[in-house]
Amino acid sequence: MLFEDRPQDLESEIAQLEARLHDMRAQLDISTYPTPPSSHPDKSWTMPYTNNNKTTNNTTTTTSKKEQLFRPSSVRASSLHALLLLSDSALPLGSFAYSSGLESYLAHNKPSRRTNPVTSFHHFLKLSIASIASTSLPYVLAGYRRPETLDTLDNDLDASTPCIVAQRASVAQGRALIGVWERAFRVSFATPEQTSSSSDAGVTTAIKAIDEFSSALKSSFEDVDEYDLGPRGHFAPLWGVACRAMGLDLQQTAYTFVLNHAKAVLSAAVRASVMGPYQAQNILASQSLQDTIMGRIEREWNTEPEEAGQVVPALDLWVGRHELLYSRIFNS
Amino acid sequence: MRQPVMPIRSPFESSIAKPGQGNVVLSLLPPNNPTLTTLTYKYPLKLVPRAPGFVPTPDPAALSDSCPSRPVHLYLLTYGGGLLPGDHIEVSIKLEPKTRMVVTTPQGSTKIFKTEDNGVSVIKGHRKKMPANDHLSDMSQQSLDVRIGRQSALCYLPDPSVPYQNSRYAQVQTFTVDAAARGEQRSSLCVLDWVTQGRTSRGENWNFRFWKGRNEVWAADEKTGKSRLLLRDSVILDDEQEDELATDESDDDHEDSSHGLNPQPDGGDVPPQAQAGLLPLNVIQERTRPHGVVGTLILSGPVFDKLGSFLIEQFTSQPRIGSRNWSSSATSSAPEDSATARGDVTWTAARVRAGFVLVKFGAKDFETAKHWLGGLLREEGSIVREFGEEALFCL
Repeated sequence: MLFEDRPQDLESEIAQLEARLHDMRAQLDISTYPTPPSSHPDKSWTMPYTNNNKTTNNTTTTTSKKEQLFRPSSVRASSLHALLLLSDSALPLGSFAYSSGLESYLAHNKPSRRTNPVTSFHHFLKLSIASIASTSLPYVLAGYRRPETLDTLDNDLDASTPCIVAQRASVAQGRALIGVWERAFRVSFATPEQTSSSSDAGVTTAIKAIDEFSSALKSSFEDVDEYDLGPRGHFAPLWGVACRAMGLDLQQTAYTFVLNHAKAVLSAAVRASVMGPYQAQNILASQSLQDTIMGRIEREWNTEPEEAGQVVPALDLWVGRHELLYSRIFNS
Repeated sequence: MRQPVMPIRSPFESSIAKPGQGNVVLSLLPPNNPTLTTLTYKYPLKLVPRAPGFVPTPDPAALSDSCPSRPVHLYLLTYGGGLLPGDHIEVSIKLEPKTRMVVTTPQGSTKIFKTEDNGVSVIKGHRKKMPANDHLSDMSQQSLDVRIGRQSALCYLPDPSVPYQNSRYAQVQTFTVDAAARGEQRSSLCVLDWVTQGRTSRGENWNFRFWKGRNEVWAADEKTGKSRLLLRDSVILDDEQEDELATDESDDDHEDSSHGLNPQPDGGDVPPQAQAGLLPLNVIQERTRPHGVVGTLILSGPVFDKLGSFLIEQFTSQPRIGSRNWSSSATSSAPEDSATARGDVTWTAARVRAGFVLVKFGAKDFETAKHWLGGLLREEGSIVREFGEEALFCL
């Protein structure tokens, strides 16, 4: 492309990027969230469960950097593998089928001469991230912190999702996640060696919670009873529990959840011809997106699910009205 | 105005109630006589009951056993017609089986007065500022807890909440239905919760600090004591400006200083109506735009089944968005404007679980929303039929 006739530039670019990637990986391994703002003096980024491998990671990464040696044990001890699996856009959750209201937003906010579709999209992405963080993230965090409450979280999220379109999207992805877990991940992550080597007792609880939930889901019939609805399989709490089962820490769990959401919206934007793939990657890689995600996670870090709520009322309307679109390319 | 059958106990005898607390029990005394067996309240809350002469026409198909009882009206009042910083209103209502109640706010909108900068309310000077929990001490709060017995019905269509500039308000409304009731025995409820941008006459446009409205419906089984959340609707409008100056550089700032995700407030994506002001949009304006009022209507139970189906039908029969591009100009921001002449209202209706119908709407202003919703409810007619025209007093 740009550097077609200047291979040396390309090479130096690659070297730079690789170095950067290496640095960022190292940073990721040892990263902790910034201290909470003093506006919430009584709240802190409390981690009810200690991270199993943060310390080992920390030391091994720094030493390996010094000695320039590859230490397979450090990769093994970290949750890097699971993290990459769960953040892969090829993870078969069917997320590509949903635009999280983007398609409806575009239909309701027709670009005019004064508005640039990309600016308008930036606006939507910001609202969408704020909204997913305020409505769903508390359920992710609660699912991770208390896997045994998965049933209740699933029921409560179902009760809190105001429209059919959003419910369908959430349930479809949640059930797909159970499917991937059972057909692919469980065999590697729920082995006795894996669970016993983990110092986090929650891993076993989380595995048990998914198993029980999954069998309840299979044995339940649609609308068992008017007031006693069976399990539904919403995505957010299941994500939290599955990440716990796979050994991710809470920060990673929250970050991948919101980042995956941003990826899905960006991917929808590309397919809806709002922008090209390079521009989408540019936004995805941007510091501002990272800051937005961090900011929203930090804000909701201590929000209990019962305190979760919609901060962008307009978004509920766009998502709900997706059904009214004359032509649709997405399911939500 | 006809007074209801007097409660057995004097409404004034109880001194148990704390300021702002109210307690109401509506029972059906034989043969078919709805009576407020408890009615207590304390300043700044005032509860005024009234039994209107209206008697609902019994559905000819219904059995005489399920003939609805006369609805009792309850007026929810506060001294001064609004809530001051630090006011806590706590109303608890119990509807015993087969009773019906209409709750309205005859004083007009619930005004949420602003939080004074010095933290001391002007009128109630005794309240001292408590720096440690400033958020809580100066927030106005209202909680409504209604238990709706089997075959009873609540119709709660209040005026909207109007939060003044710099006000803070949190409201939790909990409705509990009988989990053991099925079919026609189920409890019914119709609840409207809406909030406006403030006093438009004074140029207020979502300039309050914080407004939170949460509505929950629980199904409780008295035998087992278990309860299950059926529906939760929660809207949080927070300007995300922290109080302490020291934290002004907190998380919001990350967003605002970043280039990529933050188009300049006066930049291209701002619709013309917002651009006129040339002021940067605050966080709440950004998230409610282009609406001046947003709200939710919750319907459930046999009494409101027809109304629910009607609203769903109205929603689904709206013209498809984007199907009329050739007829209207492309600059129209409200695609549905021509069809129902309601271009200023954006709404959605869904039959969610447990037979609930949830309507969410956003409208240009209070009057528009009022006419739109009032029009729909009158057109369908079941609220007027079952509860009388007065139930639509606020619409």
